[in-house]
Amino acid sequence: MPNDSMFFYNLTLAMQSFKRAPTLYFLIILTLSIGVGVMCANLALVNSMASDPIPEKSANLFHINMNTWPDDQPPDEPMHILRYRDAMAVTKSNLTKGSAVFYASGVYARDAESSSMKRFDSEVRATTPGFFELTNAPFAYGSAFENSTGMEIVIGDELNQKIFAGKNSVGKTLELDGELLTIVGVLKPWLLRPLFYHPTEGRAFNLTDDIFAPLETAIDLGWSIHARSSSAVNYTGIEETRDKDVYYLQAWVELADINQKPALQSYLDNYSQQLKDAGEHPLAIKNELHNVNEWLKVNKVVDQKVLAFTLASVLFLSVCIFNASSLLLSRFHAAKFEVGLRRAIGASNRHMLVQGLTESVLLGFFTGVVALVLSWLFLKLSVQFLPRLANIAVLEPKLLVLGMLLALVTSIASALYPIYRANCYSISAELK
Amino acid sequence: MLNMNNISRIYQSDTIQTHALRDFSLRVNEGEFVAVTGPSGSGKSTFLNVAGLLDNFDRGQYELDGVSVQGLKDDELSRLRNEKIGFIFQNYNLIPDYSIFDNVDMPLRYRGFSASERKRRVEQALEKVGLASRFKYLPSQLSGGQQQRVAIARALAGEPKILLADEPTGNLDSLMARQVMEILHNLNNDGATIIMVTHDPDQAREVNRNVQVIDGQLADFKIYAPLGRSSEVKSKTISEAASAAVAEEVENA
Repeated sequence: MPNDSMFFYNLTLAMQSFKRAPTLYFLIILTLSIGVGVMCANLALVNSMASDPIPEKSANLFHINMNTWPDDQPPDEPMHILRYRDAMAVTKSNLTKGSAVFYASGVYARDAESSSMKRFDSEVRATTPGFFELTNAPFAYGSAFENSTGMEIVIGDELNQKIFAGKNSVGKTLELDGELLTIVGVLKPWLLRPLFYHPTEGRAFNLTDDIFAPLETAIDLGWSIHARSSSAVNYTGIEETRDKDVYYLQAWVELADINQKPALQSYLDNYSQQLKDAGEHPLAIKNELHNVNEWLKVNKVVDQKVLAFTLASVLFLSVCIFNASSLLLSRFHAAKFEVGLRRAIGASNRHMLVQGLTESVLLGFFTGVVALVLSWLFLKLSVQFLPRLANIAVLEPKLLVLGMLLALVTSIASALYPIYRANCYSISAELK
Repeated sequence: MLNMNNISRIYQSDTIQTHALRDFSLRVNEGEFVAVTGPSGSGKSTFLNVAGLLDNFDRGQYELDGVSVQGLKDDELSRLRNEKIGFIFQNYNLIPDYSIFDNVDMPLRYRGFSASERKRRVEQALEKVGLASRFKYLPSQLSGGQQQRVAIARALAGEPKILLADEPTGNLDSLMARQVMEILHNLNNDGATIIMVTHDPDQAREVNRNVQVIDGQLADFKIYAPLGRSSEVKSKTISEAASAAVAEEVENA
């Protein structure tokens, strides 16, 4: 197998080349690794920020912004939070395949059957049952609650791990701020990057919630609002908000066909117009529907500073490539006698090119391994300085592959000019 | 075997044009041992580089073993060098951190031979120069003469049609130089075609033909000492000739 043996021969030559100048190659690998590592760490952040968290239906899910504020202050802009009756009107539309209306809250949770009094501070999503199907929430045990009322809850994997060591806890009872609610479903580990259903208020990189409770139950139990809310009237508790101008609910709908969006828009506009005609608000009719990716963009989920830093890291990587190329040039210059000898005894330019490329591919492989380790370290370091990045500073498998490819490409790019130069010398001159 | 007609090689710098070879014509027949002599800077090395396809020429025709080399692509020239030419350099040009085996193996790698075929050829070539037992040595562990014998083995391993030697004894003391010359003569006696650039007039007198180069031109043809090879020893490959030479030595011993 002459071709195979040539490939392994070239690999052997590359290893011998590394052994001849270990310090130089160490510097080359380090130079490229730092560049690729920084680039990869940035791409990991951008990837988490810019990725589509629910690609299978992101185009069909729409967040609803409405302007039904009862006077002209605040300004004439639709709000991302709705009051109870507006949100319920949305759910009544027969244009949608599904809908979810929710607000964020928080409670202390403990196993009602446990003798321990230890409680866990838990994030709550008080929601209509449609939330689970709309977000494709993955169930490990049990299922969603079927009504917005009732003392039933679904819990997330992390809380289930904390309280029930990850076992099937369906049927168990949790004491939540003194109320007993039964678990009907337990979710699998569920990471949404970004947390598309609630990217406002800087929550895009939060974890999914610990507890999902029926909306009406949460309101009746007076579980307070742990997110932005606006009110045109005074109220003492959330249980009073159903018929008041208190804006705190977010609404999402799923359309079976995105061509139904204009119809839904008309439905919302007609609804607003009816309220305006009834004298409930003086504002222009201006409702907005944003699909998942549009909504993430509106909320500027991709940090512009990270984007700018990524651009800087591209330039930095270019500098690293030039430096590595300069080091390789000196290495190839030192090896010109061997190049000349090989050419004299029968190696063609193509042979030498393949040999040089094999060496740079092997160099790229080593660079890739070191770069990924450095990248992981950069991410760990960035979390130390910016804790809010903790949930997105992750090297996903595709980033590992990308990092390795980037290392290979940069290694080859840095070797191209030195290889070209090495093959430019005349053979007889190289042998003198 | 080698036929050059009106070859010119001109080196051009910003201000100076140097005619390294000027209408140089030479025909070397199969089985000849030709010495190329001349003062320094006369064009001997340029001739050898052009003959060995290590350098281009600007004008003229050059035919090597029936193949006209003008207009050949790099791949084709490399293949010609690999298959038809064996080089022996003054400073051996061995790769210092490769074993003797790996040095001799180098040209065979580019021929696409199988591992077993390469091993056979390397062992055979080292045997011919009396270094079969030292294949694991590094060049630095051998004397200058032995290193030059390794270089000859490397040139022989590919079983070329012609050997080009550039002052092969230039770096050796007289004893080692004698050993190397004996090997070359033995190879030639058994049919090998050899062109050797040398400064040593004694070595030049030993061979079939001495070609003098002065100012890039052929100065004269002189036949000093016909070796009286039997006329039937023709058309052998160098390797076959070397084997025959070794056999002859054994018989004499």
